[in-house]
Amino acid sequence: MDQQTTNVLLIEDNPGDADLVRLRLVEARFPVNVNCVNRLSDGLASLANETPSVVLLDLYLPDSRGAETFRRVLENAPHVPVVVLSGQEDEALAIKAVHQGVQDYLIKGDLSSKQLERAIRYAVERQALLRSLEMARSQQLEFKNRFLSHVSHELRTPLTCIHQFVTLMADGLAGPVSPEQHDHLKTILKSVNQLHAMIRDLLEATRAECGKLRIEPRCVVAGDLVQQAVALLRPLAQQKQVGLEMGLDTRLPLVLADPDRILEVLVNLIDNGIKFTPADGCVTVKACLVDADPDHVYFSVADTGRGINPEALPLIFERLFQDPDTVDGNRSGLGLGLYIAKEIVARHGGRMWVASQPGQGSSFSFTLPLYSLAKLLFPVITHEGRLREALALVRLDLTPLSSLARGNWRETCTQCLDLLGRCVYVDKDLVLPAMATGGPQETFFVVASTEMQRVPIMTTRIRQQIGALPQLKTSGTLRVTARALPLPSMPEAKTLEQQVELVADRVTEAVLLDLGCKHSFTGKGAL
Amino acid sequence: MANENKSGGQPLNRAKIMIVDDDPDLRRALKLRLRANQYETVSASDGYSAIAVAQKEHPNLIILDLGLPAGDGFNVMQRLQESDNLSDIPVIVLTARDPQGNEQLSLAGGATAFFQKPVDNNELLEAIRANLQPALTKALHS
Repeated sequence: MDQQTTNVLLIEDNPGDADLVRLRLVEARFPVNVNCVNRLSDGLASLANETPSVVLLDLYLPDSRGAETFRRVLENAPHVPVVVLSGQEDEALAIKAVHQGVQDYLIKGDLSSKQLERAIRYAVERQALLRSLEMARSQQLEFKNRFLSHVSHELRTPLTCIHQFVTLMADGLAGPVSPEQHDHLKTILKSVNQLHAMIRDLLEATRAECGKLRIEPRCVVAGDLVQQAVALLRPLAQQKQVGLEMGLDTRLPLVLADPDRILEVLVNLIDNGIKFTPADGCVTVKACLVDADPDHVYFSVADTGRGINPEALPLIFERLFQDPDTVDGNRSGLGLGLYIAKEIVARHGGRMWVASQPGQGSSFSFTLPLYSLAKLLFPVITHEGRLREALALVRLDLTPLSSLARGNWRETCTQCLDLLGRCVYVDKDLVLPAMATGGPQETFFVVASTEMQRVPIMTTRIRQQIGALPQLKTSGTLRVTARALPLPSMPEAKTLEQQVELVADRVTEAVLLDLGCKHSFTGKGAL
Repeated sequence: MANENKSGGQPLNRAKIMIVDDDPDLRRALKLRLRANQYETVSASDGYSAIAVAQKEHPNLIILDLGLPAGDGFNVMQRLQESDNLSDIPVIVLTARDPQGNEQLSLAGGATAFFQKPVDNNELLEAIRANLQPALTKALHS
């Protein structure tokens, strides 16, 4: 280290100990500048404003004790080296501290100036090394991401050409095709689609690694997703003569999920199940609630196939893993599907796991968080510990009047939702997550803290602003309707939490009634 | 797909579509596919000639690649938007590039639909039909 001044932030409440540390630093003839604070909160405030060379940290402070002290410092200043100065020897705590990222753990009593100086110098050096390693790793990931994105682009171009000419021939647009030739062309097309899926998976896996998987969570009926996935794979199951059963809990609530991505996960799991199950076997897809975990919906895909070897089980979600025993002529992927599926579920705040008995079958399960309206409503409809008095529910429908391209329509809806978010008062009104519906129509609901009489003004404003979207102006193919729905009066409830729960229930009931109540729900703030 | 001409050869199907792509093979394949669906086609292989051909031919719809020599797809869209008589032509982006990021940029840049290559022919034809309808109605009225 050069002779630059080392800026030390000393977080120590005992004046005697603080003086001792200062003395040791002076003795070491070490160009140092010490800023001493005696509370953790003051230390964190100082770290928020400036970055010292090193933090010397006592663990027992007036506002924090033990492991909690270094945990909070590391959390707030992950790049600053931290050296713990403890009053007592505690091997277990010291190891814990080092594991969490503390650079050193020294005992105040037997501290020489030389030791302290070295500890500080080495801590600074180690931290710098660690940081450059971290940066190198993230640069490498970024490079890999760019590389794969480039390669996938280059591979897609010739693949597109093959795809186009093969479909031209298969569709008979380049002259008559014999049944045998048609069969061969179908085989080529199948391989083209496999290659395409592999390129897509490569990119997705890299994205997952960089934390860049894109998720757009909405309010989704859990059972609908299962039904869609099963319908998509029914033909494949019939072709393989594998049974495809569905078991849906009758009281399934809504989940907060990206319907496209979760459908992808379900399709992946069911497709695997069918692939590894012999004729006359069965794949069962279930969605249910579990009493022990009321905040999640549980999904499972179980097959009666050959099962997974116990040795392979812990590796099944690893990238590129393929069980050597199951690799056969049917293999068609890179071994990234389960890794991506697990990452998608994790991004939703759920988890995925597998259980298997060799010879009897496998069962893949995952969870998705329940959509809790009460949780979303709480900060919006309460004010200074009380429920806001005036509340109204506004329904907004966007209907395309001609068929718009899918990408375009989704983008339009996203823009409308963004705009809607700005039309309402951010701190007083809540735009509910969009309902994922099967049809082309998009419906949004807004809980507004306003008098019913003022709702028409609000809906007019929303209609005008959304109608002014440039995309809608040019196409003129969209109908926007907004209207208020009455909320029934609120019965008395004891606590604020109970009141919010009641409002959530009322809103849920009103929304479901208005939607024609096509789904069944559990009562508790389920929308 | 035995019956390529699903819309029954109405005026909609005699619309003129411009294909802008630097891959000559893909241009040829798309031309064959579109002609089989009773569309007229014209084509351009780079950003510069795309504008020139559009000025001369006044297509009813443009299928546009993003990675192009002499002015990329975004550049082409910008110049179409700035032009008095070309800004109303619907543009469908068909690219090998990643939809993440590019889809939003394309739609913001004036495209009416975005597809990543390789595209499903039925989806592409459906988008062409959907986007031609308002454009042709408008042309009829003016």
